[in-house]
Amino acid sequence: MRDAFSNALVAAAQKDPKVLLLTGDHGYALFDPFRKACPDQYMNCGIAEQNMVGVAAGLAKAGFRPVVYGLAAFVPIRVLEQIKIDVCYEQLPVTFIGDGAGVVYAQLGTSHQSTEDIAALRAVPHVSIYSPGDRFELTSCFEQIMESSGPAYLRMGKADLGDVHAGPLANWTNGDLIPVTMSNAPYLFVATGSGVKLAQKVAAAIGDVDIVSVPRIKPFPDESLLRLARGREAIVTFEEHSVYGGLGGAVAETLVGRYVGTFLRIGVPDQFSTLCGNYPFLMESHGLGSADVESRIRKMLRENVEYQ
Amino acid sequence: MKRFDATRLRKTILDMAYAGSTVHIGCAFSIVELLAVLYRNHLRFDATDARSPSRDYMVLSKGHGVMAQYACLNEIGWLPDDEIARYFGNGTRLKGLADAHVPGVEVTAGSLGHGLSVGVGMALAAKRERTDQTCYALVGDGELNEGAIWEAALFAAQFKLDNLAVIVDVNGFQAMGTTDEVIALGDIEKKFAAFEFDTTTIDGHDESAIDSAYADARSRKNGKPKAIIAKTVKGKGVSFMENDNIWHYTRLNQETYDSAVAELRGEA
Repeated sequence: MRDAFSNALVAAAQKDPKVLLLTGDHGYALFDPFRKACPDQYMNCGIAEQNMVGVAAGLAKAGFRPVVYGLAAFVPIRVLEQIKIDVCYEQLPVTFIGDGAGVVYAQLGTSHQSTEDIAALRAVPHVSIYSPGDRFELTSCFEQIMESSGPAYLRMGKADLGDVHAGPLANWTNGDLIPVTMSNAPYLFVATGSGVKLAQKVAAAIGDVDIVSVPRIKPFPDESLLRLARGREAIVTFEEHSVYGGLGGAVAETLVGRYVGTFLRIGVPDQFSTLCGNYPFLMESHGLGSADVESRIRKMLRENVEYQ
Repeated sequence: MKRFDATRLRKTILDMAYAGSTVHIGCAFSIVELLAVLYRNHLRFDATDARSPSRDYMVLSKGHGVMAQYACLNEIGWLPDDEIARYFGNGTRLKGLADAHVPGVEVTAGSLGHGLSVGVGMALAAKRERTDQTCYALVGDGELNEGAIWEAALFAAQFKLDNLAVIVDVNGFQAMGTTDEVIALGDIEKKFAAFEFDTTTIDGHDESAIDSAYADARSRKNGKPKAIIAKTVKGKGVSFMENDNIWHYTRLNQETYDSAVAELRGEA
């Protein structure tokens, strides 16, 4: 997925000399192709994220198209106020890339993890939020961002989980949910980012599941979800983000009052990662191992049957 | 009639503050001459188009002093008299802190430490485009408490933004007391010099000194950003407001308004 990002960024910068890449001293190796292809459009702004976002706003006001890169723990979290006031209030065309979102930087601990970025940005007006599930979604998301004229946040999470889709997405321009498997099954899994792979794994064990991916969380494609939700017995959301305010929150807000089946959010509970551990260890510590998730869903489905 | 006359600008500020029953008079008064000289002799703008792409940038990072800028924008004609008269009214555009949706106001400020970075970005854009635009960024001394100011200062030197002039309004006060009492700033000129700025210290109410400092700042294309340390008096122009920090918070009544206006007219 990171290669796809690098390729998309280089393509955008080569197409438009107003595209500038600003990084807060992050992106070692990732930006080698960009620096080679577009050296004049690359700026290391140092370890000073607040200033970097303000500078991006100033550049955008003067006609540039800044792409601001950082770890999701810093961009958007550390600079939330600069994003709100300097960029979003004026609807400037600044793109924020939050890399390593979720618990990707597992052993580095809480300072480098970000499970609150979607929730924080969802409440800020005018910013679009993208969370691609594989390289094909990422490419489409980036293209859609570059065609828009306002602020956007691209959340890059666990990037080495492999493809979800068989190839490039055709004509994904409306931000709708993207079917991964679709057979009018009784259960619908709605997933974003690394959650799509988790949903696929759990779905294979449980069966009778359709899966859709949500690459764009804001504006949320309400109608697309409501169409897909119709007639389902159960809907489960999957995300490597807090269960508060992320995909699960957005889906719940859309469904409430308009859907009567069972509903469960799979995500990071209201807690930090307190112990050191690798990525699978941390995912399990947050109840996001596939076996745990499978048993929670089975329990929900059983209870639902009993209640009927 | 002298353009951007300091006394007339102060009268406009008093009228706004009285009409809207608003605070922040002292911090608007301290920057009147700094803005007046800038708009009168240095800032290049198109009076028919506040967003002209070739304009110089006037960034009011200390957004609390915005009434002084509104008074200048009123003289240019970007803010009509009736809008000034309805200051702080429901449904109007002019808020109590700088807001970039207002013609002629470049940044949304008031949350301090934001504007300078945005100004740095605009100065950088001008450098990249090889235009001769200058960015003037007015920051408060209290605002220098904010870490982002020093991030911006490091960046401006690194990127050789000699088209950036940071004007520091050193009125010696911040919200809860003197700057020395709250977070002492020490020698501000030395601090900016240490950040590789060209620096000068002036009397921020002496129009000829201000004029020279601005001319010098624009003319020296030596790869270094400029810092003009302007020693000012909070509440300058009305004796009972000068150096009295209650005028950061106090609203005018009929008596104080009349008395302040009389003093500006030389009747007191």
